[in-house]
Amino acid sequence: MSRILESELNVQGLTAYIDDSDEPRGMLHGTLAVTPCARGRLLGIDPRPALALDPSVRVLSAACVPGENQLGASVPDEPLLVEGEWGFKGQGIALVLAATQAMARKAATLVAIDYEELEPVLDAREASSRGSYILPSRTMASGDTSSAFARSAIVVSGRTESGGQEHVYLETQGAIAEPREGGRVFVLSGTQAPSGVQHAVARVLGLSMNAVEIETRRLGGGFGGKEDQAAGWAALAALGALATKRQVKVYLSRREDMAWTGKRHPYSADFRLGLDAEGRILAFEADYYQNSGAACDLSPAILSRTLFHAASAYRVPNLRVTGRMCRTNLIPFTAFRGFGAPQGIFVMECALDAAARAGGWDPIELRRKNLLKEGDVFHFGQPLANCHTGRSVDRLLEKSGWKSLRAEMDSFNASHALEKRGAAILPLAFGVSFTKLVMNQGGALVHVFHDGSVSVSTGAVEMGQQVSRKIQVIAARALGISEARIRVESTKTGTVANTFPTAASTGADINGMAALAACEEIRARLLSFAAKRLGAELGNLRLEGEFVVNGCEPTDLGWNKLVDEAHLERVDLSAHGFYATPGLFYDMKAERGSPFAYHVYGCAAVTATLDVLRGTYRFDTATIVHDSGESLDLSVDLGQTEGAFAQGLGWAALEDLRFDSKGSLLTDTLSTYKLPDIHFMPEMEVEFLADAGNPKAVMRSKAIGEPPFMYGIAGYFAVLDALRSARPDLAPSYDLPMTPEKALAILTGAGAPAKGAQDASALAPPKPECAEGALS
Amino acid sequence: MTKKDSKLRFLANSLPVETEAWRGSPALDFIRRDLALTGTKEGCREGDCGACAVLVGERLASGPGQAPWVRYRAMPSCLLALGDLEEAHLLTIEGLREAAASGITPVMRAMLDENGSQCGFCSPGIVVSLTAFLLEGPPYSIESAIVAVEGNLCRCTGYGAIKRAAARLVAEFSSLPTDFLARVAELEKAAVIPASVGAFARGELLPANVAAAQTQPPGSQTAQPAPGAGPALVIAGGSDFFVRNPKPDRREPLALLARDEDLRGIVEFPGGIEVGAAVAWRDFFSSPLVRSCVSGIGAFEGALASILVRNRATVGGNVANASPVGDLTSILLALAAVARLRGPHGERELPLERLFLGYKKLDLLPGEIIASFLIGRAPGRVFNFEKIAKRANLDIAAVNSAACIELEAQPGRPRIARARISAGGVAAVPLLLEKTSRLLVGREAEASTALAAMRQAMAEVSPIDDARGSAEYRKKILGRLVLAHFIALFPELEAELAREVLA
Ligand SMILES: Cc1cc2nc3c(=O)[nH]c(=O)nc-3n(C[C@H](O)[C@H](O)[C@H](O)COP(=O)(O)OP(=O)(O)OC[C@H]3O[C@@H](n4cnc5c(N)ncnc54)[C@H](O)[C@@H]3O)c2cc1C
Ligand code: FES
Ligand code: FES
Repeated sequence: MSRILESELNVQGLTAYIDDSDEPRGMLHGTLAVTPCARGRLLGIDPRPALALDPSVRVLSAACVPGENQLGASVPDEPLLVEGEWGFKGQGIALVLAATQAMARKAATLVAIDYEELEPVLDAREASSRGSYILPSRTMASGDTSSAFARSAIVVSGRTESGGQEHVYLETQGAIAEPREGGRVFVLSGTQAPSGVQHAVARVLGLSMNAVEIETRRLGGGFGGKEDQAAGWAALAALGALATKRQVKVYLSRREDMAWTGKRHPYSADFRLGLDAEGRILAFEADYYQNSGAACDLSPAILSRTLFHAASAYRVPNLRVTGRMCRTNLIPFTAFRGFGAPQGIFVMECALDAAARAGGWDPIELRRKNLLKEGDVFHFGQPLANCHTGRSVDRLLEKSGWKSLRAEMDSFNASHALEKRGAAILPLAFGVSFTKLVMNQGGALVHVFHDGSVSVSTGAVEMGQQVSRKIQVIAARALGISEARIRVESTKTGTVANTFPTAASTGADINGMAALAACEEIRARLLSFAAKRLGAELGNLRLEGEFVVNGCEPTDLGWNKLVDEAHLERVDLSAHGFYATPGLFYDMKAERGSPFAYHVYGCAAVTATLDVLRGTYRFDTATIVHDSGESLDLSVDLGQTEGAFAQGLGWAALEDLRFDSKGSLLTDTLSTYKLPDIHFMPEMEVEFLADAGNPKAVMRSKAIGEPPFMYGIAGYFAVLDALRSARPDLAPSYDLPMTPEKALAILTGAGAPAKGAQDASALAPPKPECAEGALS
Repeated sequence: MTKKDSKLRFLANSLPVETEAWRGSPALDFIRRDLALTGTKEGCREGDCGACAVLVGERLASGPGQAPWVRYRAMPSCLLALGDLEEAHLLTIEGLREAAASGITPVMRAMLDENGSQCGFCSPGIVVSLTAFLLEGPPYSIESAIVAVEGNLCRCTGYGAIKRAAARLVAEFSSLPTDFLARVAELEKAAVIPASVGAFARGELLPANVAAAQTQPPGSQTAQPAPGAGPALVIAGGSDFFVRNPKPDRREPLALLARDEDLRGIVEFPGGIEVGAAVAWRDFFSSPLVRSCVSGIGAFEGALASILVRNRATVGGNVANASPVGDLTSILLALAAVARLRGPHGERELPLERLFLGYKKLDLLPGEIIASFLIGRAPGRVFNFEKIAKRANLDIAAVNSAACIELEAQPGRPRIARARISAGGVAAVPLLLEKTSRLLVGREAEASTALAAMRQAMAEVSPIDDARGSAEYRKKILGRLVLAHFIALFPELEAELAREVLA
């Protein structure tokens, strides 16, 4: 048996995703008739043209929803099917069912929709100026920024933009619902949040949760996109299944998925950074305008992570940051790896970039000088413990041979007119835990079968992050048996209940701990049985190498025998485990507390080469030093680090999500929306930090999913660095992603930033007012 | 019709298939639904992700001295017309499993050892592409292995593990023989490919009506609609057709050009070469005739799509598609290609620039197809191609441009005797920049000429905004590409032009 069972199936094409399930006779396919413009009011629906297409066609509108026509989990602002006014293009108006998927799609286009088009608001700042918010703004503050700015030798300010990002999980969203006897329903759902889907389906159908079972076998990628946003497809399939008493499959084409599902939030921000004459940060202020889209979704939680990461990996004694969730008429933006942190960290890095220029400081030295250290306190009051930021940066500079690399690049740039090389680093301190306290809990159910094989179920969803591999390692270690005996099951709401999404990088932390607790309980029962059976001291017994070991003496009780005999003696071989991350608290009013179990540290350096003539660039190398605690599986953590970095680099320097002036998505295909391909990625070298055991997570490991995403931000600044070699005078508008078009605009001097988008360049006098006056 | 019936026959892995399914539907659906081979995934249905990649083995009418001449290539099954599988060997991930008793081939093993599969959705496609890489033959290098998987997107791994898996394979199989049948035998022994490949190659595992197929190359009978049937639905590589028609409705008559031997030859004629319209891009760029006629052209293959798409898309399809940013169209325009058109009323020839009437509108009569392109030889000609897209690879151009310049020796710097500069993405049709081309004639190849050409090119076009770039950007970048032509063709001008660029 291979180490990673799941992968072994993958490479053979044996893994079954949603669309690989059999389609039994009688199954109906569902799709949506959707809103045709960004904002409008529904006046009426005429299903007749669609119904005329084929006898199998059914059209279900909001009126057919037996329960509550609502998906919004935290704010009830997202109906499953539109009633009255709608807020974005691509929202469902009617569920259209037919015998084949092609026919359903055709029928959906035939549903006649009578509506009135309303003027949309697409821009976050514009929404803000109109007071259009999801929830009231939120501010976190520490110290006294205004007196700190007054004391500052240099103050820089500016505006930044960061774009949205399409998840492009390779498996699109979908669900298959099956009516079961007694009015119950079973849904095979492609979700990161089976319990969330269970709740949504129950709510929409007016059923109790025990009448709804959700199973998630695995996902062909999730990245946050199937956290809240998978619920709708499951609810639609279930609605269709109950209405028709048939199996119903709703599975999106790539174009539908891109046009109808949420993405990473675009942000616009204003920053102001004050430093003393030596380059020590004194004060930072920022206003974030989060483009939340038309519905709440996870926007508040995402915004809170932006605010928690406002200072990134730097010590900022005086800080004041405000975030606004601006309601616009774009698709509701949602979770995506990093969950608001990349957007916040980008702003801080822009501020440091502006400061380095204004102060004439070396960008690396400026960052090093301000790195967080053990004992520093974050602006929300949590002290920093087991901090490895400085260590990571030092090791990175050493590993990448930074000094000679820089010298080499400078001499290259001096001798090449039409090619310029650039580099940047990104230090990291990423907080792990759901920022919403309640979500930091999870369960597991472990069965040891009397043949010695073991089945582990948890709330964790396998989506390629290889959490099942980690849980397998944990269970095998806890029981002292071979990994080959452990099977990690698909995720089912009837097996492990009330779970929270597999997200926030906590999948292995929380579910691994719950699995560990269950395994430990079974182990304790087995050992106390063994103590009786062997007449040995319980305290001397342990399970190791598939045997009960008594002190240093092996016993005759091998795993199979132990389990078999225990079973005959009526020992319970199953256990439920539960884990709630300890030590977390947060006072929302005071904006103070300890929201994170721990932080993940590291540092990356990215180098790029710019083609000055064409405005194109390529990334040459990425060197990463990353803290993964005592890894449960290094190859898994390596894959997560490289994969997250690739997505971060794509976000920073390639993936260009575009809407037109009416709020229609322009980039709704893989031919217009480009994500990293194999040629785009630089050579990556990843080293995991030594001696970084983490006392705060399962078996001293660390969460891995999201943190390395941030490293991609260094790619943006590496290109900027190269652009500066060609245009030393350049004052960029900080506008992520970098694209060849933007690079050329900068190179040809047309990159003159839009109003308010400059960074301050002059050495500013102490008075902040004057510094701002220098912007022009 | 030489066939007894209209049934489509091919070999799917090791099983013969006979079907009445419509030949114009995408093979992907047939594979996943009718054959229930769900290891082949659907990720986009537009050739961009490679999750649907399959191997297709076909018997060619002519080849480099090998008998039998069989060739296997990986291609996206979402862009593959089912009818193009006629008499072919379709090999999916399920078929590859047959190679190893454990189901795990060395290619899969390399992926596992490097942990190259995370969510796994891309994995079967990657295994197919890497297997095609080994099957296609030496030389094996890490660079060519990367090209082999360039059409496979992976959102999970960041490609690090996939590159390492590819490197393992390169190391493990670097000494495979060049001879096809010998290589097939070795790969079979190594459990990389199933026995069905060798059997198909040796002609042992052929579908029932093989005799008919051998006398009548597949495709050519379908290319000519029966008289009075009305113009046929034409599909060549399908790389544009299936993107626009992901689930096309059945329509007859149907003309599948991709396997029509009459349309996929590259031959020499006095003074030039004739390139069949159904020649796949891959074959165009690797053709010794094309390479000798247009020196340096081979280097630009990588700028177009991905290897999976280049195995499908045809030269004629790129022109017929009439996209304003067609790369081959730009190249052929600069090369002064003449299109040879064939229709119910016979044949005619048209200089390529006269074929484009307006946005996506061609001067083609009902029932007329492009049969081939004539490209003249010109001994003093230098050629360059430039393309700018958001992503350097596997992306449609924002702007492209090709330049053909014929030089005349004279004392001092050479003089430009003839020039043709084309541009895509700057107008409703692919453009020959006539004024720019004319301006160059008689001038010396020097910096001031390049700058004048740049200004003229920018003045000559009026592009529009779209998701791939703004009008202003397109204009500006076209100017830069004109300079890039000069720097590529006359490297000695670089320093001087660089000063201008940086000024
Ligand atoms: C993933 C992907 C990447 C791509 N990248 C590029 C790129 O980098 N550069 C680029 O230029 N294009 C690119 N394309 C576009 C596309 O592949 C080309 O336009 C291609 O050349 C079309 O050729 P085909 O043989 O596949 O045409 P088909 O799809 O078969 O046909 C296209 C149209 O032309 C007609 N047609 C085809 N052949 C003939 C003929 N001989 N006579 C008359 N009519 C005919 C068909 O009826 C159809 O309407 C890409 C497409 C995809 C899917
Ligand atoms: S499904 Fe994406 S290339 Fe075919
Ligand atoms: S492993 Fe998920 S897309 Fe490649």
